[in-house]
Amino acid sequence: MKKISFHAVEKRYPNGFHALRGVSLEIEAGSFTVILGPSGAGKSTLLRLVNGLETPTAGHVAFGPTAPSRSSLRGIRSGIGMVFQQFNLVGRLSVMTNVLTGRLAHRSWLGSIFYLFRREDIAIAREALERVGLVDKAWERADRLSGGQQQRVGIARALAQRPQIILADEPVASLDPVSSDDVMQLLRGICDRDGITVLVNLHQVEHARRYADRVIGLNSGQVVFDGAPGQLDSISLNRIYHRDGAPHDELFSAALAYA
Amino acid sequence: MTNCFQLRWPTRSGLPPFAPVLSVGVVVALLAWSAPVAEVNAGHLYASIPRLIDFLRNILVMPDWKYLPQLGQKMLETLEMTFLATSIAAVISLPLSFLAARNTCPFPALFHGVRALLSLVRALPEMVWALVFVSAIGLGPLPGIMALAFVTVGFMTKFFAEAIEVVDQRAVEGVAAHGAGWLQVKIFAHLPQAWPDFIGAIMYILDHNLRGATLLGLVGAGGIGYDMIMSMRLFDYNRILVIAVAIYIVVTALDRVSDQFRARVI
Repeated sequence: MKKISFHAVEKRYPNGFHALRGVSLEIEAGSFTVILGPSGAGKSTLLRLVNGLETPTAGHVAFGPTAPSRSSLRGIRSGIGMVFQQFNLVGRLSVMTNVLTGRLAHRSWLGSIFYLFRREDIAIAREALERVGLVDKAWERADRLSGGQQQRVGIARALAQRPQIILADEPVASLDPVSSDDVMQLLRGICDRDGITVLVNLHQVEHARRYADRVIGLNSGQVVFDGAPGQLDSISLNRIYHRDGAPHDELFSAALAYA
Repeated sequence: MTNCFQLRWPTRSGLPPFAPVLSVGVVVALLAWSAPVAEVNAGHLYASIPRLIDFLRNILVMPDWKYLPQLGQKMLETLEMTFLATSIAAVISLPLSFLAARNTCPFPALFHGVRALLSLVRALPEMVWALVFVSAIGLGPLPGIMALAFVTVGFMTKFFAEAIEVVDQRAVEGVAAHGAGWLQVKIFAHLPQAWPDFIGAIMYILDHNLRGATLLGLVGAGGIGYDMIMSMRLFDYNRILVIAVAIYIVVTALDRVSDQFRARVI
């Protein structure tokens, strides 16, 4: 298994937004890491750098020995599954076909033209759907499913890929509390049973406390906390969610106390 | 101040906005200036009324029933030309449209090249291309089909490319993030999302091509248009009405069928 390493990573977007300022991290293989931070702290950017959806302005990100580049991109992505906040399914395709798109990295373009898959791919997809408990929805259109179900399809798609890493970009931000727990438990189970490295962006401190092995706090593109979830006290939460110019009023502290 | 002065336009000064007034003024001026050039003349139009009535009286005669079998055959030929030309164009346009869409074309230069080629094809109407093909390969439906398919590629590729440009980028990212190749992303993310728009474009173009195919006969490129122009020239009024009614029926029927089909796809 390979670990993910970030070396002095900088990311500045063309519009001038400085998303990451010198982030250096190592994510152990097979661990469950949660990244916390306010909106705009650079959480999504950090995640998207791993599979090359973004490229760093300076420094480099490596997954094993290879850094994402134009030529190695497909090879790297084939080992990394991704779960999105908005699920990013193709709504007009069936649930099964959506899960099967996770197999595309391992198949040539020739069969893909005719939407053809091998028997083993279908078996893998079915197994992935069983894991998330949606076999009975396999032939329904993806956009007919509820949000929680769609996110489980997204997880099945990532699983069908047989990845070494799963990146989850705020996977529960658009879900109700019960569906959120389902999704977090699924991700934790995948990490424990399959030994897949899981890297999750979250807004819910409570979920981080319950599921994470390690919590990384980001604020304004810098790592401001790195430790076990047990170490998350009100001082470190203050540091993670601190906003420049905003005074720490009682309401803010109270909100964090309940988080 | 009386009540009527309390009316005002929703602008800062209460006066009509400058830009719309200017545009309307320019349009009216252009119309007045161009009317004599196009020989638009109310007096001439008025003088023609007796002739128009005469024509209508001529056209409303007993239809030529013996002509019906030939009409059916010609109508079928027109339909065949329409479907064939549209299908050929669809097969060419489908792959081409991915090069004509800004978000899927791998090289900007290629995108601009394809777009320029398409506007060249669209610049001249079917009739002109039909004349070109008739002089190149002779009379009959084949040059008609080629001309129709040629122009249709120009339109269809543009419609398809516009549908591709507005697909949901999140689903595209969802497929790409799992290591799908360039073509696989197009087939599994862009194509399914653009599909309803593709069907809509094809249906609209089918309708348009049917009317195009009825006209191509005027230049000897097959279809019902040839019979129409011949009966016009020979004053065969008892055929013109039948042909017109037949065209109306076929166009309406196709419209209904395509509506049904479209509703089922979306």
